[in-house]
Amino acid sequence: MSSYARYGRPTLKNSVDLQLQNAFSDGNWSTVIRLADKRAKTLKDPYYEAIKISAESQLDGAADKCAVLVALDDLVRQKAVPDADTLELYEWAAQDFLRIDLQYAEAIGPLRARWVKANPKNPFALQCLQACLEFWDLVSAQQIAATLDKAYAKSSDRKYMFWSITLTFLLSISTQCTDASRKIYCMLVLKQLERAADITENSSKVEPQDRGLLTEEEICLYYRVLLVHGTKSDFITRMQSPRLGAISQLREGHKLLLWETLDTLEGWAEWDHIYDLCREALNLGIDGVTHPFLVCDWRVWKRFATAASKARDSEAALGEVQSILKKFIAMSTGAPAMYKKNISLALLETTFRIPAALLSPNSDQRGLSPRVIQIGLFLDQYFDKLSAFDDVKDYVAELTIEEVKSFLEHVLPKILDEKPGKLSQITLKSLEIKLRYLLTTCPQTLSHHPTVVDGQEQHKPYQCRLCSNLTSFPCEHCLNKIIISAADTYGKMADSDLGDAIPHLDKDPRLDLALVMGLSLLKLAGLQPRTSGLAWPPLQGVKPGLFFQAVLLLDTQLQATPSDSALRLLLVQLYLLLGCTSYAYQLWQPMDVKRTIQDALSPLFFDRISTLSPGLFQGTRPLMDPLRSYYGGNLRDNCPVRIWDAFSSGSYTSIIDISEYDSKLRRSCTLMMTMVEERRATRCFGGKLDYDIDDHPLAASISDSTTLTNKTDYGSFPHLESLHGAPIQEFVRLGPELSNTRSHLSFLSEQYLDLLSFKPPKDYRPAKANEAALRDRTYIDERLAQLNSSLADYLHQPSTPSLLTGAELSYYTLTSMLAAVLLTSLTIAKTDSAAKTPLSLLSSSIRSALTGLRTSYFSSPNPAMSPTCFSLTNMHILAQLREAAVAAKHTAAFALTFHDKELARDRSGKSGLHRDAVAEMKALEMVAGKMLQEVKTHVQKLKESLGRGGWLDRMLDWIFGGDESGEDDQVKKAVQEVVNSGPGAEDWVGRVLESWRETVKGWGMVRME
Amino acid sequence: MANFRRFRPDDLNKLSKCNLDPLTETYELGFYLQYHAKWPALFQVAEDQHGNIIGYIMGKLESSPDVYQFSEHYLPWHAHITAVTVAPEARRLGIGKLLTEHLEAAADANNAWFVDLFVRRTNLKAIAFYENMGYSIFRVVKDYYGDHSSDPTQTNEDAYDMRKPMKRDVKMEHIRDDGEKHEVDPADVW
Repeated sequence: MSSYARYGRPTLKNSVDLQLQNAFSDGNWSTVIRLADKRAKTLKDPYYEAIKISAESQLDGAADKCAVLVALDDLVRQKAVPDADTLELYEWAAQDFLRIDLQYAEAIGPLRARWVKANPKNPFALQCLQACLEFWDLVSAQQIAATLDKAYAKSSDRKYMFWSITLTFLLSISTQCTDASRKIYCMLVLKQLERAADITENSSKVEPQDRGLLTEEEICLYYRVLLVHGTKSDFITRMQSPRLGAISQLREGHKLLLWETLDTLEGWAEWDHIYDLCREALNLGIDGVTHPFLVCDWRVWKRFATAASKARDSEAALGEVQSILKKFIAMSTGAPAMYKKNISLALLETTFRIPAALLSPNSDQRGLSPRVIQIGLFLDQYFDKLSAFDDVKDYVAELTIEEVKSFLEHVLPKILDEKPGKLSQITLKSLEIKLRYLLTTCPQTLSHHPTVVDGQEQHKPYQCRLCSNLTSFPCEHCLNKIIISAADTYGKMADSDLGDAIPHLDKDPRLDLALVMGLSLLKLAGLQPRTSGLAWPPLQGVKPGLFFQAVLLLDTQLQATPSDSALRLLLVQLYLLLGCTSYAYQLWQPMDVKRTIQDALSPLFFDRISTLSPGLFQGTRPLMDPLRSYYGGNLRDNCPVRIWDAFSSGSYTSIIDISEYDSKLRRSCTLMMTMVEERRATRCFGGKLDYDIDDHPLAASISDSTTLTNKTDYGSFPHLESLHGAPIQEFVRLGPELSNTRSHLSFLSEQYLDLLSFKPPKDYRPAKANEAALRDRTYIDERLAQLNSSLADYLHQPSTPSLLTGAELSYYTLTSMLAAVLLTSLTIAKTDSAAKTPLSLLSSSIRSALTGLRTSYFSSPNPAMSPTCFSLTNMHILAQLREAAVAAKHTAAFALTFHDKELARDRSGKSGLHRDAVAEMKALEMVAGKMLQEVKTHVQKLKESLGRGGWLDRMLDWIFGGDESGEDDQVKKAVQEVVNSGPGAEDWVGRVLESWRETVKGWGMVRME
Repeated sequence: MANFRRFRPDDLNKLSKCNLDPLTETYELGFYLQYHAKWPALFQVAEDQHGNIIGYIMGKLESSPDVYQFSEHYLPWHAHITAVTVAPEARRLGIGKLLTEHLEAAADANNAWFVDLFVRRTNLKAIAFYENMGYSIFRVVKDYYGDHSSDPTQTNEDAYDMRKPMKRDVKMEHIRDDGEKHEVDPADVW
């Protein structure tokens, strides 16, 4: 960015003699120091002093290195204005400190700002601005930009004015200045922009040298600022301006402001304004002012229809929507297919927004209503499009039960009748099956059924309104029927004509059929969303046979259609649930989740991975390397990536967008997950950690009060469920998704473990050992108190239990208690006669928590599953038990070592621990050691169990054995038929077993200490 | 259903529908942000009703560096399509065409002579798509790609540099009929 492309060695001024130039460029520092010193004395030019100091900074001695810091400090204090070359030299010399100790904004930034103030029109001023931005020193950058704006106030180059405004805005929302300063910046930026807006409003034509708003970027910047610092009424008033409103921008072909305004107005629920804006925007297309379809976006239509339905006179408003729609339909001949579809959907949306009271009295609300007819018309036109199901699913889910029946019994069969081709029939059948599955997730298809009938207790709380059977939610009978019907349709695809036609379709219909069968089997197996009952393992109460059938069937389909990412993602989750982590990883890798998409997608595999399979971290390339290098590369500098490009291009909204994105990336839950998972795995194998977690460069922006953001992208998961229930990713996840609370708890727990494992360097011999020991003790006490308090704050939040698995909740609670017991042990007076009570209370709580974790793993609450299988699907709990036991053991070891050290240091015996504390710690050490031994023995047993023969037959028996009759048997046969079309069940069981063995092998290498 | 709008950085968290497709390349963060920073109006996305990105186009406006002004390979002020992709589920709806037309409109608004792009010689589907939209081969860049899309025994593959003239090029000076006969080295293109 700067003249020497940070940080090559700078070139010295031309006036410097050749001898010194050569010594400097050769890096001959002792010669440079000698010569520069001589020249400084002879020529009395401070530049030579700067050369000398900069050369000294290249030497090894601490004092030499720090000379540049002293020089910079002097310059800042003296309010001096060093010359540009000196500035460049000092910045280069101080580079090693800039990323650690030296705050740019307190040292070099102010010097650069001062220099620009003294030389505003010098081209070097731009480099100063760039340099300050590179270090994200907004205070100095804003001062420079303000100086430049003043210097070029009458120029036609508008960028200086808007740099100044943008930087003032960034400061007004930044933590780089005080609250009071923020208020001033806020007023300043609003005033500047209001003035500019008034100039535009009041001039017939704005010229580049005028200080009004001219370009799309400038106008959008104004509204961004107004949104943050202005009032709602100011925003709305200005939006209606004929010169600066969204409509005037649209007339010039600029759509950005309309989008941003609609988002804002929707946030405020200003539906009347949304209605007016959409109507005006769409009319511009009809009138030929803009391209006819410039705003023919789905969101514009949806908002228009929604706003109309909320209008005081909704009948008239919806009439207007329909009238505009008709004009678009008339114009749409020859329009791009996407717009035609948007218009068809708008018609559908409008029909659904018409209040029941306004529907024609002749329309049959109870059955074949206009809503049902409209869905039918849409499907008639678009049934063969891949997105057809997604387009109509929310509307179908909104239908009343009478409408649903009419849709299933009349409309769909009619479309089927009218499309006699084999392919159309298969495509429509597949769509119908998906819609039937969707309806099983809609509550209106069930009615409550009395729990006691004729004195008899009923176990089925609902009656299905489609099949009339008594059922739980979802209806098992309907799911069974769906599976049987889907398998039948799937089988028909073996027809060679159909098989040959598949490549010409948007998607192989078998894929959707397999997904519906798989998801139905998972529901029948009893899999529940991981949003409640988190204290229990995910497969507790799940029928293993049906669960295995689901995974087997979906896996069979993946072998046939390996490029489908929805199916692959679903299977990755299912294999993680099943404990087959190495196989899940094999499925994950071909998706090639790399570079930019890692932040949003990596949690889908890596979250909690160290608790499932630490062995995965033992590969040739460190597992988290791509993630670490992604964050390392993009967050290394303080400034957001590519920010100067946005400044130099005058992309003011991009500046704000990019800085917001950067701020979120630095606070990403995935980033925290990356650090924590890797550290946990490293500890499992006794590896050395490079940093304490709070010293990690990637954690620099994170403190207790930072809100960490989860951006996991579930967009590619199958979405066959209705909005009434949990999406499928919540069923197949090991536990709740990443969250601010969980990230903070893991961060704090790691900090606690860092504190326990701290060892001073071997050559550390403080001169005053007693004083140093007291300081250390004070530090430890304060740190423990702080960690204990922060952990407790997060744990006591009411939402916390719903954000963690049961095992995680136990582990973090235990960590908090360990910090408390250690703090009590270290701080309680040796003479305190009441010490026993708090200590034994804490210790007994810790032992109970450990026992609770142990029980939740070792007792097998799923009688339908073999203990080995159940254990393998619950390695997450085992891992948390091990982590907890290790933390307990290290806590005890820390306390006892501390006690021994104190006894050795202070022979009076006054500074050691209370004898009750020593006793409790010894007991804790013993309990933890015993548990670790138990974990070790259990892993060995798992290994032995998996090594014994008979697994293949046993698993096949679980999957397809048993002597069910009726529907259950039909379902089993249907699944078998589909599975037999692939590599088969035996092959699959082999892969599952191999993966389990690999998981256990990895666990066998984990250190239990 | 789709919406067309300008890209914003948060869209990078919604790319899975496009970027999990093996035919779509995932770039470094700086690459996406560079386009958003420098040419925000030329980085457009199509999103579905849930906010997932189902298509995008990244383009830029530039000319060759001045130092090459007298080179036969000098490119005057033009728009370049760097990447255009549509998620598998959103294909056959004309989204790619709409995104490309949007970029062409921006090129005209910025007084560009033409829009150009590189495409693998073997990517017949894409070539037909661009030809349908009025693009023609301007030259063949020999061994432009360091791999081959369909033949693993080959270590590289030629690119077609395709162009479409914009309104400014009234005399059609920047396209040619026999582009396939004009071969250049990768070093000759920017």
